Amino acid sequence: MTFLVTAALSIALLIALPIIAHLLRRGRVRQEPFPPAALVPVARPVAPRRGRLEDRALLSIRALTIVAVAALGATPLVRCSRLSLARSGGASVALAVVLDDSLSMRARLPDGETRFSRAHRAARELLDSARSGDAIALVLAGRPARLALSATTDLDAVERALEQIAPSDRSGELVAAAKLAEASLRALPHADKRVVVLSDLAAEPLPPLAVRLWTPVPELRQSIHDCGIAEAERHGKSVTAHVACTAAEAARGRELVLVEAGTKQPAPAAAKVLSKTPLPQSRGEHTLELEVGGAADVLEVRLSGSDAIDSDDWAAVATQSAGLRVGVVADPSTASVSTGGATVVEQAIAALNLGVGVQPLPLVPDDPKEFRELGALVLDDPVGLTPESRTALLEWLERGGVALAFLGPSSERVPLGSSLLPFADGGVTWQKTNVPGADVKSFGWLGQSASGLASIAPKGRILLETARPKDAKVVARFDDGRPMLLERRLGKGLVWTFALPVSVDQSDLALRPGFLALLAELVESAERRAGSSRSVAGEPWVFSDGDVVIEGPEGRLELEERTLPDADADVKEFVAVPAVHGRYRLTSNGAERSRIATIEAEEILAMPRDTSNAAAPDGEDEPTPWTDTSSELAMVLIGLVALELLVRLWGRFGPRGRRARPVGA
Amino acid sequence: MSSLQRDFDWARIGALRLRARHIAEGVYAGSHRSVRRGAGIEFGGHRPYLPGDDLRWLDRHALMRHGRLLIREFETETDRTVCVLMDASASMGFQSTGAPAPKLAFAALLAAALFRIALVGGDAVVLDWLGGRNVKGIGPVAGRDAFERVATALEEAEAGERALLDDAAVDRACARLWRAARRGSIILLFSDLLDLPASALERVTGLAGDRRLVVVVRVLDPIEKEFPFEGPIQLRALEGNALIETDASSARAEYLENLEAIAQRWRDRLLVRGGQLVDVTTRDDAFAAVLRIMATVRGDVR
Repeated sequence: MTFLVTAALSIALLIALPIIAHLLRRGRVRQEPFPPAALVPVARPVAPRRGRLEDRALLSIRALTIVAVAALGATPLVRCSRLSLARSGGASVALAVVLDDSLSMRARLPDGETRFSRAHRAARELLDSARSGDAIALVLAGRPARLALSATTDLDAVERALEQIAPSDRSGELVAAAKLAEASLRALPHADKRVVVLSDLAAEPLPPLAVRLWTPVPELRQSIHDCGIAEAERHGKSVTAHVACTAAEAARGRELVLVEAGTKQPAPAAAKVLSKTPLPQSRGEHTLELEVGGAADVLEVRLSGSDAIDSDDWAAVATQSAGLRVGVVADPSTASVSTGGATVVEQAIAALNLGVGVQPLPLVPDDPKEFRELGALVLDDPVGLTPESRTALLEWLERGGVALAFLGPSSERVPLGSSLLPFADGGVTWQKTNVPGADVKSFGWLGQSASGLASIAPKGRILLETARPKDAKVVARFDDGRPMLLERRLGKGLVWTFALPVSVDQSDLALRPGFLALLAELVESAERRAGSSRSVAGEPWVFSDGDVVIEGPEGRLELEERTLPDADADVKEFVAVPAVHGRYRLTSNGAERSRIATIEAEEILAMPRDTSNAAAPDGEDEPTPWTDTSSELAMVLIGLVALELLVRLWGRFGPRGRRARPVGA
Repeated sequence: MSSLQRDFDWARIGALRLRARHIAEGVYAGSHRSVRRGAGIEFGGHRPYLPGDDLRWLDRHALMRHGRLLIREFETETDRTVCVLMDASASMGFQSTGAPAPKLAFAALLAAALFRIALVGGDAVVLDWLGGRNVKGIGPVAGRDAFERVATALEEAEAGERALLDDAAVDRACARLWRAARRGSIILLFSDLLDLPASALERVTGLAGDRRLVVVVRVLDPIEKEFPFEGPIQLRALEGNALIETDASSARAEYLENLEAIAQRWRDRLLVRGGQLVDVTTRDDAFAAVLRIMATVRGDVR
């Protein structure tokens, strides 16, 4: 018989003793002869009930006391499943909790709990074990990695912030989150700094950090089987869907189904099925095509069956025509390269691979309806705008359009009745020049690619200083200080005027990476204003005004106001972040349009990594989740003893102790 | 002499006179006022002369003084039979801890005292029983030896019966009393009123006709009257083996209400028939109890 068995038997005996004593002590109800007993109402005796409860309470207290004593004695042997902060010498701890809120954390574990829920619980347990003086920061690992709460010793604030964190369909950005967490602790004076990663680690390997890295919940890294729909797009009478599966088992017996969608997302199970196709029985990303067998406009694809993550088993279908389109007005004879093909601007936008459509235009449209499908407009060496075109353009710009005009020699010859407004005020002058190129510093907002613009060797340029509209500001200059690029805000829109044409005959502008960066900035600005119809969950949507109402799968999406970087203080923009995938309806000034938030296929395919915490600094072990509960147990013990005393006093001096007897007895 | 006789102050009781409220007709001229007026000892008042009245009772002084013909009336004294119906059911044998005597013993004491008074006054007595063991009905008897006979019968009786009292037993007892009690008799029922059959109320109060006075003396043990229990308790009835488990504190009010309801039923019914209910407990002073009974019989207490 081992020591433990003997100890267990002893404890059992100690618990049994008060039970036996209780049974012996328990009295019986008195019986009295009473002739008029028939006149006495039968009542449920209150007193014995009270007595029984009281006795049971005493019994329970004594048993608990014994258990508490036993647990107190065995504290060094007790390993608690709750997470807690092990302290070295009782010192305060600075802790950065990296909570992964990416899609893969929505996966259900074998016990039915989701990874996110388990991670959130672990974070709460760590918070519960924190004491006054501990500093805690909260970092979220869903893309983009972000600081949910800077390191603070206000544990209530941490609890409130923790309560507001919800799972999302974002991709994971664990490396950036870990670095952000490390940075959040850098300025703290605590000697013991730790980064706790509560994630499935379904991303890149964690980088080495200067502080202790702790991944305390290994069950989060259990592998799962999941198939998910990354995105779906309609092309006329067909729908193309990108489906990713982590394993062949996850796809077994399942189908991709196209259904009519209503206002509710995802569509109810009884939604009308338009077509279906089986999933390929293999791991990886697959592109599947479905025929649209009806006249429905709002569509949704879904996967039959179930897997570890339910939320990625459906996706809203985006319409191709709703994508951002860039109109290009250029003379193919002058704006094309000598090898032929599309104009330089068209080729450059296509080369950017930003997912936007390019629409070559022979002239600037004079019908406002033609502008509606455009997100941005690029004019290369325009000869002026007719009044009708100008009116339509201004109306489109007011609503949020972005236009860029590369002025060139042709712009000098504006015909009668036309003008270059809103790009230039009055006529412009084309002047030959020997300036080597742009002032790189003034193009700093384009990043490193702006350096090539310093040597574009223009043969001539437009003198913008004389034609500069009053509300336009110079955002880039030539090497000699003359304006090279003007920026002007019109309503919600943006107007750029470049002092050079795109033509390679006039300069090397189109051959420099800075040119592509300029077009990318244009597309990004256009997307910010017009909004791309399809974006990845977690990617922010930026609006120039705050009257946009966004309704998504989880209700209304709130807008966050912020000041534009490097802009005037009075210029605000409003940001909304769709954290979950699905269709969003945007209503602004009575006009309604929809956007689709999608999932990245890589996030679905990412598999958890089995880490042995190789990123921990040398000589430091991962903190162990051991809990010293001796002080709490001791307090419980004292409380139980006090409780028994109270119960005994109640029994002696309470109503039960003053029970009256029959007269004369 | 039995303990029953030793414990009682017979001399004190004997100084009293049992005076009935109703005027009874009787064979013997006793201390009771008779309803028959005319020739007698005690002046009973005047009434206008009616043709045919005996002229011997014409008040000449009133005729001379007032000029009116008035007849003088006198009340005759007569005897009254005292009939006692003693409940000797099992519940009457109950005596709680601290109570001075069982209910039957206390009731017998009161009955004996009343018998004594009646016999000293020259009245006849009748004793009959409801239930009980070793019971012996007596009467109507009168004279010196009569007291010894009824006292002996009271001493020898024991409470309890093999079976519960039923309607037939009550009928038989009431029929015997009906035959023995003449007009103007006083009928006393000593009982706790607990185990009597439902018909007892009608049968006993039915005896009150024909100028017979029925007085019910309810004898209770102190704990039956007060229900002083507290807390959980099991109460066992002496008849029927009923066992009631209850919480005494919460049941007290309803029990006392039920007990009073029984008394009120008897009281109401007796009131209609000219009778009375007297409540006594075995802890009461026996002499005071006898006085109360006599006062009730006299009509001083309504």
